[in-house]
Amino acid sequence: MNENLFASFAAPSMMGLPIVVLIVMFPSILFPTPNRLINNRLISIQQWLIQLTSKQMLAIHNQKGRTWALMLMSLILFIGSTNLLGLLPHSFTPTTQLSMNLGMAIPLWAGTVITGFRYKTKASLAHFLPQGTPLPLIPMLVVIETISLFIQPMALAVRLTANITAGHLLIHLIGGATLALINISATTAFITFIILILLTILEFAVALIQAYVFTLLVSLYLHDNT
Amino acid sequence: MASPVPVKEKKLMEVKLGELPGWILMQDFTPKGIAGAFQRGYYRYYNKYINVKKGGFAGISMVLAAYVLFNYCHSYKELKHERLRKYH
Repeated sequence: MNENLFASFAAPSMMGLPIVVLIVMFPSILFPTPNRLINNRLISIQQWLIQLTSKQMLAIHNQKGRTWALMLMSLILFIGSTNLLGLLPHSFTPTTQLSMNLGMAIPLWAGTVITGFRYKTKASLAHFLPQGTPLPLIPMLVVIETISLFIQPMALAVRLTANITAGHLLIHLIGGATLALINISATTAFITFIILILLTILEFAVALIQAYVFTLLVSLYLHDNT
Repeated sequence: MASPVPVKEKKLMEVKLGELPGWILMQDFTPKGIAGAFQRGYYRYYNKYINVKKGGFAGISMVLAAYVLFNYCHSYKELKHERLRKYH
């Protein structure tokens, strides 16, 4: 049972070929490009959703921050669709791999920090010291702020990985428990099944929320630095 | 097997059974040909089920079902140990 539980998180490869590449590219098929004024139903729904999300997300940014619109929108679409596809039975979710999340978080965070240092050097450095700190506390506070800055990409990556992995693991465990309890006591199995249904609804929400949180934080770091 | 149309250009449904091995061998297996085949297949599905004015849920649900099936086949090796059998 122990080995089986984590087997679904192993990167899939067929005869040594990494088909994880195919699985990462799969969500892109589900978002066709609009090429007419009035598109088919699927594209129209997606266009409406993307407009809604982008207006909400880019409202706080100035002109310079809005150049990141494409990046932020594709980020939230990718993470949201990958997480939702991972809820299908037997599927592999790339966002459970810390390597991938680090690969998304570190360059984006570094991009915001470097942008801040290039264009508003004094203001970026000033972020290290909150206003109104008493004089003797300043060295310690600068150290603390530096640490909290460098923890941002790690927190972004680990938050996404841990949330999605934990959710999938819980579903596996509670599903297995339900199956095992059917022969022992039907009522307990039924209660466990209700818990499973609630958990699945939570997972749908978590899938979307995590995407949103990731993108929101990146956009927040951007806002600080533009 | 004397037919007025050359075997290579016939579509699959019009090839006679005896000509089938020859037809398969004459197909274009270059990377460009394979990419073309995937592209034609994609657009055939897309234009039939999704690129219509009132597409429904069936269009994407068939894609998702195929994805689930693909993943099931790929993880069958681990799954067969979890069947309810006396001897595994």
